[in-house]
Amino acid sequence: MKNQNLKEIKIISGLKQNIAKIKELSGGSSDVLINEFTTGGIKCALICCEGMLSTATITELVLEPITAISAKKDSHELFHYIENFMLLSVDRPKADNYDAFFRLINSGFAVLIADGMDKALAFGVQGYAVRSISEPSAEGNIMGSHEGFVETVRTNMSLIRRRLKSPDLVLELFLKGEKSRTDLCLCYMKDRVPSELLEKIRSSLDNIKLETILSTGYIKPFVESNNFELFSSTGTTERPDVLCSKLIEGRVAILIDGIPFAVVIPKLFCESFQTLDDYAFQPWYSTFIRWIKYFAFLIAVLLPAVYVSIVVYHPELLNSTMLMLLVDAEQKAPLSILTESLGVLLMYEIIREAGIRLPKPVGGAVSIVSGLIIGDSAVDSGLISTPLLTITALAVISGFVVPDLNQSVTILRLAFLISGGLFGLFGISILACAVLVNICSTEDYGFPYTAPLSPFRSRGLDDTAVRAGIPQMQSRNFTVEEYSENS
Amino acid sequence: MEKITKNQLTAMLLITDAFTLFCFKGHICLITALGFLCGTVIQFLMSVPLVSLCKNNFSIEKSGKIIQVIYFIYIVMWGGMLFAMLWQASDVIYIPYENSHGIWGKLLIAGLVALVCLYSSSTGIKAVSRASVIACAVGAVCLFIVAVSACFGSDWKNLLCTKNSDSFVNEISRGFVLSGGLGSFAVMLGNSKGNPLKNAVYYFVGKIILTAVITFSSILVAGGIMQITDFPIVTSAQLSQPFPVQRIDSLFLIIFAVFAVFSIAVQSLSAGSLLMKIIPSFTHFRTTAILILMIGSAFLFSGGNIFRPLYAVIIAFILLIIPLFLLIKRSVK
Repeated sequence: MKNQNLKEIKIISGLKQNIAKIKELSGGSSDVLINEFTTGGIKCALICCEGMLSTATITELVLEPITAISAKKDSHELFHYIENFMLLSVDRPKADNYDAFFRLINSGFAVLIADGMDKALAFGVQGYAVRSISEPSAEGNIMGSHEGFVETVRTNMSLIRRRLKSPDLVLELFLKGEKSRTDLCLCYMKDRVPSELLEKIRSSLDNIKLETILSTGYIKPFVESNNFELFSSTGTTERPDVLCSKLIEGRVAILIDGIPFAVVIPKLFCESFQTLDDYAFQPWYSTFIRWIKYFAFLIAVLLPAVYVSIVVYHPELLNSTMLMLLVDAEQKAPLSILTESLGVLLMYEIIREAGIRLPKPVGGAVSIVSGLIIGDSAVDSGLISTPLLTITALAVISGFVVPDLNQSVTILRLAFLISGGLFGLFGISILACAVLVNICSTEDYGFPYTAPLSPFRSRGLDDTAVRAGIPQMQSRNFTVEEYSENS
Repeated sequence: MEKITKNQLTAMLLITDAFTLFCFKGHICLITALGFLCGTVIQFLMSVPLVSLCKNNFSIEKSGKIIQVIYFIYIVMWGGMLFAMLWQASDVIYIPYENSHGIWGKLLIAGLVALVCLYSSSTGIKAVSRASVIACAVGAVCLFIVAVSACFGSDWKNLLCTKNSDSFVNEISRGFVLSGGLGSFAVMLGNSKGNPLKNAVYYFVGKIILTAVITFSSILVAGGIMQITDFPIVTSAQLSQPFPVQRIDSLFLIIFAVFAVFSIAVQSLSAGSLLMKIIPSFTHFRTTAILILMIGSAFLFSGGNIFRPLYAVIIAFILLIIPLFLLIKRSVK
């Protein structure tokens, strides 16, 4: 509300009154630096936000030339001269109201006001402390680039632009967040993106009414459907190369200032199993790895549930040696196998959460305590059976193979375990039906999450069932529009 | 109802057909298999008036209220029949809770299936049809494993030795009773993309292949003990074991449960789309009401013999007589 009001307040032409208004609006904030000086015979002030700009740049490129201006008739002539005869920085926006004024100084601009002028000139001399480009932490890669997104949206834009030098790449900057005034950047290839998708995403973004945007999770609800979805229909990536491959396929991405991740729309289920390395290795090896990932996903979700249901209800599925081994192990355990499994899985989740949240040196200690002490002693004391612990460990490790689906896998693993423990394979089957229907109902902007499997698109199988050769895949100019049910 | 593709239509209907075949009660012999196959060809011929209506942008949803009500009642009753089949067949399939808790176990199992159907139906025809394609593909793989396993235990003499007192016409009639899903076929054909004739041919060819695989493998495996078995398809699945020290009965249980859910969900969706046209103001709890009606009607069929000739006549009426009447009415206009 306050920002809306600020938009309506025009910049005051009198310097003293202007400075007073700025102080009033900023609440006397200590980081708003107001430097009054005279140049060309006109009283001026250069206003900036401490720590947001480069001292060396502003001294060399702005302060030195601007203080050396010869006498001018009035402030209009001074601004005209600066605007047209001095190239003090490459980014030189203007502000005629206090909303734009504060947005500029809070974005690292140095803003010049002068006595008798009802507008302000800004110079892009940003120089705030930023994290340098480093290797992505959550998306491991062997053969591809080791650059990941950083927190600065403009750096991220440059990372994309460096990889896609085509003029068809459009990067649209806009502001969202009533308080945070966060820069968002909509990225797309204008020759590839389905126009309907772009319009719908724009419309969704227009509906964003937030005070702050501090993570991708803040805007996801606005670009995803409102239905209950077990799997997210929008993807995230912290790799510029991955994002470029998505943009080439006609997808739309949203970069958010302050977040080293891009949101990609739409996302398909099969994409969770694709990594950039798949395209660096030989196709036959990539195909093998991809099927390993599909298998690992099923193990991660179903293995504990199938184990419990087989041991409790369907022992005929096991051969006699295996059956005797399990009977022997489970007889010694004091708890029911379902309780035991639930306990082990929940303990794993607790340990995992502790490992993530604690400082790294302590996190290592958690691993030692949990893995060696708790695990070993629990088995030795007979509290947990060895086969069950092995099964749980296998399921958990398999889940790491598809980190993108980790949240859904965690919940589904527990749900299937309860269902299998209560109703055996019948319970697992009917829960599988519900999950399957849920996955199939996941759809954003007319792009079914389960494509190209259902609705079936045979052309899409060359990057899902197998990994075809790069020339074959690139020659067919695939865009995500092929999967749209609206087209 | 949103438009569905040929593959989706076929998958949804084949799942229903496969489920009813799994629940088939009685003897199967070569004549039965041939009767079922011949019956499917007759069903295709009988669907010609419906196909020609659909070619001219007809759908049951757009027809008169009386027609909609007839189809609605039929589909609800058929949904009830599917629940009854589930109850009867679950006696011989090892469903953990059901077997040890009598009627309450049965109700719990039916309730769980209904719950999943309720959720499935609430997501709409698109989601269920997409899921049906995947379920059908998985089912086909499982059936292939069961069929290959059946080859190990098959006795080709069973094709000739199995005796049955029923006539060929009776077998055609029994085949018709298994084809109650044709009500949904009638409702959904008008909402399918592409040429309705091609869609119908695609479905009936799929149905012939499915029926042939299931019935023949059942005769080959369980033909020798057909006289003492109630559910021949289930028995043949139980007898088909590829490994000497392990059993794969549970694989069949998985297909059975998945197909039960989807076949009932398809009926509830079809009935739901009709109910929306019959009573447009009935928006909340529509699917719940339909599933309650289905479970209620299941009690009508639960005790008695499901495979009565009367039901075959009703199915023929739904598939042929009504569309034929509508076609003639249109032609006269």
